[in-house]
Amino acid sequence: MAGMGSASVGCMQASLDDWFISEILVHEAALSNYLRRCWPQRSELHDLRQEVYVRIYEAAGKTRPTQPRAFLFATARHLMSDRLRRARVVSIEAVGDFDALNVLIDEVSPERWCGGRQTLKRLAESFDRLPDRCRQVIWLRRVEEFSQKEVAMHLGISEKTVEKHTAKGMRLLAGHFHGSTTVAPTAPVREAALPHGQDQDGQQAD
Amino acid sequence: MDSRRIELEASHWLARREAGAWSQADASALEQWLARSTAHRVAFLRLAAAWEQGGRLQALGAGIPTGTIPPRGSWSWSGPAASADPPAPAAAATGQSGHDWSQLRFASRPQSHRSHRAAWTGWLAALVLATGVALAWRHQASPAAVPALAYATAIGRIQQIALNDGSRATLGSGSGLTVALRPDERHLELHGGEAFFEVAKDPARPFVVAAANHDVVAVGTRFSVRRNGTALRIVVTEGTVRLQPDPDRSQQPGPTTLLPAGSVATVSDNGNVLVRSLPLAEASRLLDWRQGYLSFRDSTLQAAVEEFNRYNQRPLVIGDAVAGAVRIGGSFHWSNEEAFVRVLERGFPIRAERLPDRVVLHSR
Repeated sequence: MAGMGSASVGCMQASLDDWFISEILVHEAALSNYLRRCWPQRSELHDLRQEVYVRIYEAAGKTRPTQPRAFLFATARHLMSDRLRRARVVSIEAVGDFDALNVLIDEVSPERWCGGRQTLKRLAESFDRLPDRCRQVIWLRRVEEFSQKEVAMHLGISEKTVEKHTAKGMRLLAGHFHGSTTVAPTAPVREAALPHGQDQDGQQAD
Repeated sequence: MDSRRIELEASHWLARREAGAWSQADASALEQWLARSTAHRVAFLRLAAAWEQGGRLQALGAGIPTGTIPPRGSWSWSGPAASADPPAPAAAATGQSGHDWSQLRFASRPQSHRSHRAAWTGWLAALVLATGVALAWRHQASPAAVPALAYATAIGRIQQIALNDGSRATLGSGSGLTVALRPDERHLELHGGEAFFEVAKDPARPFVVAAANHDVVAVGTRFSVRRNGTALRIVVTEGTVRLQPDPDRSQQPGPTTLLPAGSVATVSDNGNVLVRSLPLAEASRLLDWRQGYLSFRDSTLQAAVEEFNRYNQRPLVIGDAVAGAVRIGGSFHWSNEEAFVRVLERGFPIRAERLPDRVVLHSR
């Protein structure tokens, strides 16, 4: 915007980010469940969710929605309709039950960050679900605050490997914490049981 | 959009930023990457938000030796009253099995990013985040210890705690308390500061507050315990409590004292106990901090200033002996130090010198 100093723009950015975290990301579990029920292609769910987020973030940057949750689900519905229309070959399963798109909103309830005990419990469970080496690295980095070098020495691995495990831990923790990753699938699983480390979007966590 | 690839890149950016060696050039490069696409920005924001919350994991590290990684499932979330485990064999005193809470410390780390630190020890900073966490540290060689809950407050904050037996505790400014409700005894430990207790009646289990070298034992009462190193002050506003030296901790034998309502008992550093019996209203005034203010009635300024400094980061300093001896009275919000100083300047022969890190009070 003309005439605004970089500090003001930085402030606006930070408040948009904060809003996004507390009003949108907080609904990730509900959003993921919703998308999963409406969109049969598991492999596309991660992409779908992120595109919903992008649309919301850009819209909110212009005008802050007054009902963030309703806006979130409305955006998800529009996105799925758009994708269906754009698809050259519409598979029979994809069309599905359009009424289902509207019915499910009230059923899924968001998990708010109530803070304190509940949040810590979720984090501890997420932490315990990390693969072994990754878990060790995350403990030493985040809890003990070891430097990357200290972790490398302590575990006898390279610093590059420590960084890779840190990055992986960040992705997995985000999945568990925000709620897109669930332990047991709620719907009957048609494909083979998910091996350790995979999330519900049907892709291998690398 | 290849959201998986973008998330992978975002996680590597975040890992590098958190690794510590992060220059201005790095920050610019990240900002450029974020600016290239909203998808980048959102992916990064999402990871950073979870990582930020991940800091709470530090609460799980309390009491665990540096470099030891606890196995999965080391944490239990049942409340202490629900535990059917046998009581820990005096673990707190001997430090053999289970959790020795008196040894809780974080080694200070040179490159800590944590911006909030509680007043006096590193572990309290983590525990402030984790109010109400129950930890059962299951060691292979020893029997399961009774879970203990730890609470801590920063300077200028007070906290209300509801205990599982129906009792309530109010933790004062800059204070630390550990609670272990065992089947035979409700055991609490005051590590520092002050706490006020409203004890639910349970004749089968005495309510024991251990502070320094003494135990304050109650059955169904209201009382507060304040600790300053080994000096204590106990104020009883309802019922009767028993003040007794802890045989394991105190060097010399001392008196056991029964304190009825209205008692204000002070234990000095060398173990001497002095008991005053006050009208209930006057004794209760000593606990006005719970409502947010401090009440003085014919107190010396010296004493009042010491009280105020417990609740505020910027200390008041007595400039000369005459100022310190001035007698003041009144009720003041402890969170508003400036208002207190102004009242002193207007109503009393005091002149205040306001410095960046303290306020010096001189006589006029």
